[in-house]
Amino acid sequence: MGLWEAFLNWLRSLFFKQEMELSLIGLQNAGKTSLVNVVATGGYSEDMIPTVGFNMRKVTKGNVTIKLWDLGGQPRFRSMWERYCRAVSAIVYVVDAADPENLSISKSELHDLLSKPSLNGIPLLVLGNKIDKPGALSKEALTDQMGLKSIVDREVCCFMISCKNSTNIDSVIDWLVKHSKSKS
Amino acid sequence: MAQPLVKKDDDRDDEAEYSPFLGIEKGAVLQEARVFNDPQLDPRRCSQVITKLLYLLNQGETFNKIEATEVFFSVTKLFQSRDIGLRRMVFLIIKELSPSADEVIIVTSSLMKDMNSKTDMYRANAIRVLCRITDGTLLTQIERYLKQAIVDKNPVVASAALVSGIHLLQTNPEIVKRWSNEVQEAVQSRAALVQFHALALLHQIRQNDRLAVSKLVTSLTRGTVRSPLAQCLLIRYTTQVIRESATNTQAGDRPFYDFLESCLRHKAEMVIFEAARAITELNGVTSRELTPAITVLQLFLSSSKPVLRFAAVRTLNKVAMTHPMAVTNCNIDMESLISDQNRSIATLAITTLLKTGNESSVDRLMKQITNFMSDIADEFKIVVVEAIRSLCLKFPLKYRALEEGGFEYKKAIVDSIVILIRDIPEAKESGLLHLCEFIEDCEFTYLSTQILHFLGIEGPKTSDASKYIRYIYNRVHLENATVRAAAVSTLAKFGAMVDSLKPRIFVLLRRCLYDSDDEVRDRATLYLNTLGGDGAVVETDKDVKEFLFGSLDIPLNNLETSLKNYEPSEEPFDLDAVPKEVKSQPLAEKKAPGKKPTGLGAPPSGPTSTVDAYEKLLSSIPEFSEFGKLFKSSAPVELTEAETEYAVNVVKHIFDRHVVFQYNCTNTIPEQLLENVSVIVDASEAEEFSEVATKPLRSLPYDSPGQTFVAFQKPEGVPAVGKFSNMLRFIVKEVDPSTGEALDDGMEDDYQLEDLEVVAADYMMKVPVANFRNAWESIGADFERVDEYGLGPRESLTEAVSAVISLLGMQPCEGTEVVPNNSRSHTCLLSGVFIGNVKLLVRLQFGVDGPKDIAMKLAVRSEDENVSDMIHEIVASG
Repeated sequence: MGLWEAFLNWLRSLFFKQEMELSLIGLQNAGKTSLVNVVATGGYSEDMIPTVGFNMRKVTKGNVTIKLWDLGGQPRFRSMWERYCRAVSAIVYVVDAADPENLSISKSELHDLLSKPSLNGIPLLVLGNKIDKPGALSKEALTDQMGLKSIVDREVCCFMISCKNSTNIDSVIDWLVKHSKSKS
Repeated sequence: MAQPLVKKDDDRDDEAEYSPFLGIEKGAVLQEARVFNDPQLDPRRCSQVITKLLYLLNQGETFNKIEATEVFFSVTKLFQSRDIGLRRMVFLIIKELSPSADEVIIVTSSLMKDMNSKTDMYRANAIRVLCRITDGTLLTQIERYLKQAIVDKNPVVASAALVSGIHLLQTNPEIVKRWSNEVQEAVQSRAALVQFHALALLHQIRQNDRLAVSKLVTSLTRGTVRSPLAQCLLIRYTTQVIRESATNTQAGDRPFYDFLESCLRHKAEMVIFEAARAITELNGVTSRELTPAITVLQLFLSSSKPVLRFAAVRTLNKVAMTHPMAVTNCNIDMESLISDQNRSIATLAITTLLKTGNESSVDRLMKQITNFMSDIADEFKIVVVEAIRSLCLKFPLKYRALEEGGFEYKKAIVDSIVILIRDIPEAKESGLLHLCEFIEDCEFTYLSTQILHFLGIEGPKTSDASKYIRYIYNRVHLENATVRAAAVSTLAKFGAMVDSLKPRIFVLLRRCLYDSDDEVRDRATLYLNTLGGDGAVVETDKDVKEFLFGSLDIPLNNLETSLKNYEPSEEPFDLDAVPKEVKSQPLAEKKAPGKKPTGLGAPPSGPTSTVDAYEKLLSSIPEFSEFGKLFKSSAPVELTEAETEYAVNVVKHIFDRHVVFQYNCTNTIPEQLLENVSVIVDASEAEEFSEVATKPLRSLPYDSPGQTFVAFQKPEGVPAVGKFSNMLRFIVKEVDPSTGEALDDGMEDDYQLEDLEVVAADYMMKVPVANFRNAWESIGADFERVDEYGLGPRESLTEAVSAVISLLGMQPCEGTEVVPNNSRSHTCLLSGVFIGNVKLLVRLQFGVDGPKDIAMKLAVRSEDENVSDMIHEIVASG
């Protein structure tokens, strides 16, 4: 790509909207739908009904439009995650950091999913949610227990957040915006 | 100017015949469906592709599970678009795909969002889709939204929720029943459609509770129902209540009659008609009750709307059968309908008039009928013939009016008279005389011979048989050779049956000896000899009667083949040598059970049924003659592949204490002659059976079917089952195909046949009952046995239902063997007669239990508790 073309792309990105598509997965009650609400509206609600299937949300942050596929985390839906992860800009995997009992299931579901050839190379963002709760894991412990170090074939990033207190949500959005691709 | 314009129209007509989608290919469209996955959606394009998919599905194209699931998941991606038109198409395609795709519940959440959307169109359609894809557990989660929707301000949304309720009631009744309060509120809705749907649902929720239905009707008939459709429903529910309460009210006023009567003054024609029809169909309706209903129907007769005229005349036609006098007031209006453009209306008008009119008008009506008899559908021809039948009873002198017309028409009339004679003994004499008069002037040889045959059977049984002789003998003078020959046969029958007529018959038959036609002379000679034509008046013996009246138990095809092969020689043609094997065709022709024989083509003169033929065949074999009455013969079961050297099929004949296997063998090799053909049966896997007799076949030449039999004894009254292996054993001789002469002494050989099983269904005869419910009630619950079974995973409900039907071998009643698409439960009614002539009825209730498992509740009622238990054993072991 010539210099001139790169310059044009930069120029375009100033004037045109950028777009990205994300899929949001993780076990039930990890806080996926809450995260969508916090990102979209900033609001938080304590009692949510479980997502039966998926929710589709479009969120605009600055000049980036984010399409969010928020998928149900109950066991019956996990086999369908892969269908909604194909060809997304990034996979966002939400973990309940204050629920150590389910961490091993969460880990195996994540690694199962990443082993699918159709999802090769798609960047992964792991979010440890609910750090407002006492007994929540630290980032190091989570990285370790989720076996994130062993994932080498793609970009992996991990943040610790709290949807309830809006902790670290901005860093998440920044990361996402950085990974958007410009609309051609 | 005019010309090009016309041409343009023509062009458009041509185009209209082709769909823009004609000829699209499934594969290509499935490829196109990939656009649903594009990051940048084109709603227009996507809508078009969905239209194509829907078109394919509507043309009967099917998607397999993988295809449907793939398309379905791509479609779910379209929820990201906010295009209203596209969303609508998404709803439609999800509904179409939901039965065949996996995991459709994935869209539940998205639909729930749409269900609570501000867009009314989304709300209503999302509800309709949601109820298609949901299951019991999800339904409890979305229940509160549905309840809300039932009382939604928007009528479209409320209707959608109510209709969904009607569907869901089939699968999850206990949940839907909890919505009663909301549904009741919806019944009061101002929107016509909501009221209609709410009433239907409310009634369905309560339908099994007679008292609740009665309360519902009582409160609503006080006049809160505004929607005409709902009012029609209410009238139907009311008649149901009237019917059910009829038993406990005596002579006094009928409950709710006033309501029905007031509906006759309703604004909407539909309500007026519904009420009028309801009144005419009341049990034991009095003429006082009938009058106001007839009056409104009379008004409809002169309506400008064809549908009203049709509805009215059809209802009056039915009333005329039971209350002809009540309809006479409408005669003048009905007369004007005779020339109605709509043939159905005209036919019904005429036939109604035939029932109610007086003698003088009948002639004219009959002429009208003949004019358009050829134009009307069979269904209405039957109406006409029925009317004529009752007319014949009413005005015997009018039969002459029937005599104008073509062959088909005349045949219909003759059939009517024949039925009359058979069904109504009192009508026999006059009916036979009508037929006699009829053949005096009948130009159709076929009809004449058929009538002569019929006269020969029925005539001699009448008190004064002699009066028919003249008509019959007239035929011998006046008709063509075929009719003359038939007349000679008929005369002979009179002679055989009525001894006092014998001398006169002999005189007449002798005259026929001088006829110009060979056949007529031959017949006369034959009959004179068989009847003892030496003039002596003797008792006609049994053989002669058998010869004249018995039916030929040899298939005509076989007889023809044998006669062709017979070469004139010293040895007379032996009728007994003609194979009696009944090829499988007659089975196919076997009359549908329960279908009443009608007209001339039917017994007693008609062809013998297959069962009769089998029975005759078996009783002619001395070894089997003591087995008693044949209970049932199975359809032939092929024991060889098609296109093999020897084709063998077997028919299982079931007796009380015996089973006879009839092996029908055909030799398909021209160079071979088989002799001493028998079947060696190994019954080691059928412990309760012991072989008692076997009847080998002497010779089996090329392409001439023959039978060999093996008989087994079995315990009485027990439906013993077992598996039999069969070996065909014979002596094979080389023959010269041109002369048929054997070239060597032959050698013994065996030929392995496939195994044969006797199953429980073999002991069951399919016998239909006309009204299952009545039969069920009348057989009583004394020997009722009920139990539940898990049938395990099955392909579909349909497959489970037909498996159980064929296991029991019973007759499905009232079309219940057909399972509607997508149903989750089904009730199937069966009837039959078990060995020992025990009548039994079975009610099967199927339900889907878990993802694929099917559960069944089996209730048996019979005349014998052992049989009831036996049915359960059969099902338990099958």
